[in-house]
Amino acid sequence: MKAINLFPLYLSFYVAVTASIISLFLGLPIAYLLSKGRSKTTDFIDTLTNLPIVLPPTVLGYYLLVLFGRQSPIGLFLENTFDIMIVFTPTGAVIAATVVSMPYLIKSSKTAFMEINEDYLNAARLLGRSEFSIFCTIVMPISWRGIASGVTMSFVRALGDFGTTLMVSGSIPGKTMTMPIAIYDALQAGNKEMSTLLVLIMTSIAAFVLFTINRLEKRMEKR
Amino acid sequence: MLEISFKKTLGHFILEPSFQAKKGVLGILGPSGCGKSMTLKAISGLYSPDLGTITLNGHVLFSSKNKINIPPRLRNIGYLFQNYALFPHLTVHQNIAYGIKDLKADLRNKKAADIICRMQLEGLENHYPHQLSGGQQQRAALARTLIKDPDLLLLDEPFSALDSHVKYLLEKELISIIQKHYNGIVLLVTHNIEEAYRICDHIMVMDEGQIFQIGTKDEIIYTPANLTAARITGCKNFLDATVLETHEDYYILKSHDLLFKAAKTDQPINKQMTAGIRAHHIKISPMHRCLENTFECDIIEKIEGVFSATILVNCCGCPLQVEVSKTSCPHLSEIKYNKIKLHIPPDKIFLINNA
Repeated sequence: MKAINLFPLYLSFYVAVTASIISLFLGLPIAYLLSKGRSKTTDFIDTLTNLPIVLPPTVLGYYLLVLFGRQSPIGLFLENTFDIMIVFTPTGAVIAATVVSMPYLIKSSKTAFMEINEDYLNAARLLGRSEFSIFCTIVMPISWRGIASGVTMSFVRALGDFGTTLMVSGSIPGKTMTMPIAIYDALQAGNKEMSTLLVLIMTSIAAFVLFTINRLEKRMEKR
Repeated sequence: MLEISFKKTLGHFILEPSFQAKKGVLGILGPSGCGKSMTLKAISGLYSPDLGTITLNGHVLFSSKNKINIPPRLRNIGYLFQNYALFPHLTVHQNIAYGIKDLKADLRNKKAADIICRMQLEGLENHYPHQLSGGQQQRAALARTLIKDPDLLLLDEPFSALDSHVKYLLEKELISIIQKHYNGIVLLVTHNIEEAYRICDHIMVMDEGQIFQIGTKDEIIYTPANLTAARITGCKNFLDATVLETHEDYYILKSHDLLFKAAKTDQPINKQMTAGIRAHHIKISPMHRCLENTFECDIIEKIEGVFSATILVNCCGCPLQVEVSKTSCPHLSEIKYNKIKLHIPPDKIFLINNA
């Protein structure tokens, strides 16, 4: 029996963890602004952040190629100044995974932020705290379950992305082949053991994560 | 001293409060949605008025003319929210020390320990808000606010979400804490005249964003300035009356077939006035006695409460609502006949110029 190559598993984890961290730092401030805003601009941004959930992965991949491809201004700029290539690289996979997964984090944290009683924030303001301090000491601790649930959701989504990642970073074995792509690849090549093992790994991770989210949400309701 | 005069357009009305408040408790009384809570929020800086000025002890907090708008965190105003808004994820001690984190640790702990002792919260330092009783929550919220020695204390309907037994206890406790531990200006927002009367020194009546009267609590009750103020302070009976005679210390008025006497005050009088009579001020008199301002009335309806009863009567063509304590009239519930004799004390009738 051929030794099973676990590179796709490592790459998928690397991509999903990096994408989740980027989502957290980018997504939390966006979610907070969206939870506060009632203007048309925030409604528009809200729609925009939800778009990746409903768009077909290939459409997202197409946009990312247009945006970061070697012919695009951004792609050229990144390549010439920082020597960063997006297309057909793990970096591309991270960007693809971030775009498809961030909406879940934003949605879940926004809901958690909106549920915070405005009186808590006002009380903290009148007790002399700055907005940033209030975000760190009141908003985050009160809504951490919602944020945690969003992070896990976006993590699984990043881990499982197929279409967008395939379009942006391709499926170079040992370089950009993530787990979902490897499953497809193994099945195509008739390597049943490999595909079964990968499928089982993916299923157990997804089941574990969903179970965790469920527990978190149950505890959220109790409060 | 707090001086306020501002304007803010709110949906269907314009909020235009303009008043001064000195040391002591000023009650802001008005129906729900009249802009009273909004007034507190504007004073504390949580909402900005469109125009006007807010000055506290000589410091300008807001001035549209000079483009001054001090953010709430720098105003040093204490605010007690309706459900106290204690931070649910922090302990009592952390809640109380939340507003003084800029102090050195030992001073901070000393101040917190001191106020925890004064508010009788010892032993509860490490409890979370949901583990506290209503009274403990109120004391913790007050401690959190008073630890900063605020220049002004705002109380936003602190009792409206409580049942009547707890409410009474908490109200008593709040009054004693404020008397003992706070020596500044207090504004209390409420829609309950009884509550306002028990807690406040002065009362301001508000509706639809306008101030209708401001005065001592007895002025508000005995000489309402206008119909709105009378209605909001709980007056139920208004009679359109014609002034027939003016005597040295009383007037004779007529409304439908009811001829009655009202005490004279120094207010200007028109021919047509509205006479206001509070339901509690009307007394039942024995059938055989014949006092002045005593009338035989037909009972229309009797609504019995636990300790008091409301009687709707037709008094010579005028509908009146009467509130009587059951203990003072134990025989009331046994009244079989549908007639009753009522005495309206002339000095309790107030006249409002309705022109």
